[in-house]
Amino acid sequence: MDIAIQVNNLKKSYGKHLVLKELDFTIMKGEIFAFLGINGAGKTTTLECIEGLKSYDSGKITINGKMGIQLQSSSLPNHIKPMEAVKLFSKWNNTVIDYAMLNALGIEEIKNKKYLQLSTGQKRRLHLALALIGNPDIIFLDEPTAGLDVEGKLSLHQQIRKLKSQGKTIVLASHDMAEVESLCDRIAILNSGNIIFCGTPKQLIDKVGRKYLIKIKTEYEEISFETDNIENSLLSILEELKQKEVHLLDIKVDRGTLEQHFIELSRREA
Amino acid sequence: MNGFLYGLALQWKLDIRSKSILVTCYIVPILFTLIMGGIFTSIMPEMKSTLTQSMLVLSVSMGAYIGFPPALIETYGSDIKKVYKANGVPMYSGLVTMYISAFVHLMISSVIIMLLDYVLYEAILPNNLIEFFLGLAVYVIVSLSIGSILGLIIKDQAKLTMISQLLFLPSIMLSGIMFPSDFLPEFFKNLGYAFPASWGYQLMLDGGFRLENLWYLSFVFVTAIIAITILLRKQKFE
Repeated sequence: MDIAIQVNNLKKSYGKHLVLKELDFTIMKGEIFAFLGINGAGKTTTLECIEGLKSYDSGKITINGKMGIQLQSSSLPNHIKPMEAVKLFSKWNNTVIDYAMLNALGIEEIKNKKYLQLSTGQKRRLHLALALIGNPDIIFLDEPTAGLDVEGKLSLHQQIRKLKSQGKTIVLASHDMAEVESLCDRIAILNSGNIIFCGTPKQLIDKVGRKYLIKIKTEYEEISFETDNIENSLLSILEELKQKEVHLLDIKVDRGTLEQHFIELSRREA
Repeated sequence: MNGFLYGLALQWKLDIRSKSILVTCYIVPILFTLIMGGIFTSIMPEMKSTLTQSMLVLSVSMGAYIGFPPALIETYGSDIKKVYKANGVPMYSGLVTMYISAFVHLMISSVIIMLLDYVLYEAILPNNLIEFFLGLAVYVIVSLSIGSILGLIIKDQAKLTMISQLLFLPSIMLSGIMFPSDFLPEFFKNLGYAFPASWGYQLMLDGGFRLENLWYLSFVFVTAIIAITILLRKQKFE
């Protein structure tokens, strides 16, 4: 897999306050990569330094591919209409308008509304469409589903997965753990300007070292216990139930959500 | 270039839709002309020879100091400016399109006011229309450059309204457009010359398009361009 973005020793400060402390990471082509962290952790600043929207003190950022940036929902004039923004962006990027993409994102339905009349979800979809106008290889999404209802989130997740299937690299900043868990190939957790973890969600779970929680419901009782070895534990308990001729009604295996691991890791780092 | 021209045409439409330019460049100055034009010429019939120039100084000052800066704040005081960076468009592009669009609006409203004055109040047309329009264009350009500074420096609409009024009201009261500046005490008469309105008014009067009326406006314009360049560079690195 080729490298899409390489960041070395990235430092950024606001006055005397150092907000990014020598960040190092690599994002591969075709993956969905997320920056996770609480507010003020440095997610948006990191994204904006990579996007070229913010200057940085030192370090090196290498980008292999054309970028498309989904800006936040306050970055167009109130009285502009979606199709006017689309035309303006396509002229700036010297590209032909992809009406199929606009239809897929539902821009046709809102083309005659003014920006200030759009709902949060419609604005997010419009900004995603604008980010895709130049047919970019790398797409940056900052809190893409913030403020969206469940339906809006699912629709946007579908669009993001579709982009990945087209070979696009997607970089997003979020504090929605469930979203990151369901969408992303790899995550970087930022804490006070440091990357405290960078890897797959599974690697995060392994790093935190949380045990499996097994809950079993039989015709007589409900039991739960923790184990490191899920395979042996399950096999032995199922064998035992079979020997005792006890009917199994339900079984649940839980290793915690990404959110729990994130909290655990942040607590450890603190 | 294609993007710039489309952006310019779009800005022109947005100005009308946003109502700020519509109200300050067209509706209020035209209403003011309709009401005050009749009053001025009935009280002082000799004002027919300067009515158009007076109304235009008011109209341009209002549009440039009160109507134009809010559009700049909407862009440069918010995340909208990131749109330019994200698309590799120079930061000054937005200012230039807004500036040209406002210039066109102010010139159109000036022609409307001039015709209304002529038709309704028998205002005397300037002897040399080319010099008159050149003088008007110079005053519009200088006023918009001051409006640009206001829009780039001030990030808050409420504060902008207050500061715009501090610039607009003395411009109108001390420039000699309401009554001859010779009626003013010496201090206020001299203070009036600190505002471009006094010079713009002189520039548009018959025979007024001369270097002695142009130098101060040129000085203000060059100073404003330097200030705008610094402010835009600051925005770029924020």
